[in-house]
Amino acid sequence: MVNIIRLNKRAQMKIQQMSFMIIAVLIFFVLVGMVIFVVRINGLKKTATGIQQEDALYLASKVANSPEFTCGNAFGTQKSACVDMDKIMALKENINDYGNFWGISNIEIIRTYPTDYNNITCSSSNYPNCGIIQLYDKPISGSDVSNYVSLCRKVYSEGTVKDKCDVGKILVSYEKK
Amino acid sequence: MKKRGALEFSFAWIFAIIAGAFILFLAIYGITKFTGTQQAAQTAETSKQIGVLLDPLETSFETGKSAVITTGAKTIIYNKCSNVGSFGTQSIQTAQEINGKFSDTSTSVGFKNKYIFSEKEVRGKKFYLFSKPFEFPFKIADLIIITSADKTYCFENAPRDIENEIGQLNQSNFKTLNCASKDIRICFDSSENCDINVNTHTKSVEKNNQISYYEGDALMYSAIFSDNEIYNCQIQRLMKRTYELSAIYAEKERTLSQTAQCGLELNSYLNTYENLAKNLENSEDLYVMANIGGTLSTLNDNKNRCALW
Repeated sequence: MVNIIRLNKRAQMKIQQMSFMIIAVLIFFVLVGMVIFVVRINGLKKTATGIQQEDALYLASKVANSPEFTCGNAFGTQKSACVDMDKIMALKENINDYGNFWGISNIEIIRTYPTDYNNITCSSSNYPNCGIIQLYDKPISGSDVSNYVSLCRKVYSEGTVKDKCDVGKILVSYEKK
Repeated sequence: MKKRGALEFSFAWIFAIIAGAFILFLAIYGITKFTGTQQAAQTAETSKQIGVLLDPLETSFETGKSAVITTGAKTIIYNKCSNVGSFGTQSIQTAQEINGKFSDTSTSVGFKNKYIFSEKEVRGKKFYLFSKPFEFPFKIADLIIITSADKTYCFENAPRDIENEIGQLNQSNFKTLNCASKDIRICFDSSENCDINVNTHTKSVEKNNQISYYEGDALMYSAIFSDNEIYNCQIQRLMKRTYELSAIYAEKERTLSQTAQCGLELNSYLNTYENLAKNLENSEDLYVMANIGGTLSTLNDNKNRCALW
């Protein structure tokens, strides 16, 4: 009788030992799995950010040449990296349709020279006496890339229509993933 | 005693086997899932990278640009087009060959500002891309045409300017002389044993017994190299952008009438053009827009310093 009880106890101990061992092995595998998962997710995040940055870098130079921004032939011969300010103001009026068209969070066009009206944000009421056009009415957030561009518009002076081009930059901001 | 010992031993073994099998199952399941996720991530990465590689193909004032994409493994690029929303969506999915089998298609990567013309599925390891600006009459977008290096296209009886352009693209899968029997033959204004017929008089392209209509060289190339379904969807997307750009130019003309004393000669035409673009159903209606587009172009040229584009 004593032997049976002792044997039962020994068996229970063995089962207990094995259960603990199995749980430990299971926890070990789960931890290893989690570490691999976290490393992989970090790698994916880095790749996604890299692709997004690459995308944004191209985008800053590309946006200036897209039909909604470019001067085209409106200012004489075709110019590269030339932004039509009059067209941008018209685009701002229709910007709701453009939602996430360029896949970025905001686009800002800043006049850097001449410096008059530099800190004034453009609206239909103060244009062209202003220096910043914010395309989407929301704050600039996340990371950004910029490119220098010519900012051209038509002005009426001394009885004729003239082309006026200033120096500025186009700033594209995007959310980091 | 022996019997009891045997019961104790067998229970421990049974317990160990069940638990071991469970752990093994979890490990195998985890590895399978992990490998699948990695494959999906890789193909999604390829899709997105293809999208990014398309950016340098956007033109400023060039007549066209070309590029080559080479993938590590045999790849299928799925070209998907949707015309839902303000601009519709261009999506790309890829599947890559792993151990002789193509993986599941990647997560779809969407772009609203890209227009890719190709077959629904383009297979290969090397892909040729070329872009052409689409002006109608102002610049609407750059059209990107993707072909696989595995397929050779032979242009027969092509007009001189097309022939020159094909030569300048320097794509080894395009030729204008010595067509081989396995080549895809593209014939201009003739229809003898041709896979694709281009009629420059009716401005139409016949392919797989389906006819697509075009205006301008950019759309002609697009119709030649894409499936009819993709072509019509992209035309509708392009017209959505034409609609938005017409509204922008109409607004610009109104602004200029106040800031630079310019006239409003184009406004009513731009409004008509907007409506036509909005209601275009298929490529057959393009010629109606082309007529008004011609008028818009002339009026814009006559505006001299007040030109809108």
